[in-house]
Amino acid sequence: MDFEEVDKGTHVVLAPEGKFNLVAAPPLKARIDDLVAAGKARLVVDLHAVDFIDSSGLGALIGGLKSARQQGGDLRIAAAGTQVRAVLKLTNLDRILTPYDTVEEALHGW
Amino acid sequence: MAGEGAPESKEYTLEGFAVPDQLDAVHALLARAAGEHPELDPMDVMLFETAIIEIANNVVEYGRPEGEVRWKFTIRVREDEIEAELDDTGQTFTPERGKGMPGEDAEGGRGLALAEAVLDQIEFQRLGDTNHWRMVRRLGQIRGTDGLA
Repeated sequence: MDFEEVDKGTHVVLAPEGKFNLVAAPPLKARIDDLVAAGKARLVVDLHAVDFIDSSGLGALIGGLKSARQQGGDLRIAAAGTQVRAVLKLTNLDRILTPYDTVEEALHGW
Repeated sequence: MAGEGAPESKEYTLEGFAVPDQLDAVHALLARAAGEHPELDPMDVMLFETAIIEIANNVVEYGRPEGEVRWKFTIRVREDEIEAELDDTGQTFTPERGKGMPGEDAEGGRGLALAEAVLDQIEFQRLGDTNHWRMVRRLGQIRGTDGLA
């Protein structure tokens, strides 16, 4: 899986594509860790192009969220499709990973 | 051959190695089954896909010897349910069933719980030298769809 990355100065948007699964999750999590270590701890994961997520993808998001918060930042998700929203709800993770409709909405307060 | 007498189910089968690249083939197998059964509710297909991929992930991640485990997936679409059977040649093990969803900050341990949440039946047996999973979702149920559009 490829993912796009755009550094907006105040925050970084990461946009994975396709299946966010056990193949795709480790490289995205590694990139999040690198960004957080470099002081870029305000992250938005734009999920508009993700058509399927599994528990590995969820694990990467939770791991990234924890890393970002430990550095005083946050990880927010935007534009999740039906399957992603279903899985977030089934795992109760929508309580800590609020799915914002758009990247712009996810930026509130930053 | 499927005749006028309406067979009780149509079968879709995949055989190969249980390696990460083959997960796409599992998605494709279900997509083929769903494509030939337009009567299936996309929500049922989506949740069933979520479940069978989690079980497939377990075989890919934990099946040993790594890279040498072979699997066979069979999907059957019936009037009132969709079923998948997965046989793999990995080592014997005992899945930890019924543990429920881990805490919100856990980075792993959700796969089987997620599958259990959307399936009506999930069975595991060691049969000879293969692991056998059977996964069933009854169609048109609300299981796993609370709060979804």
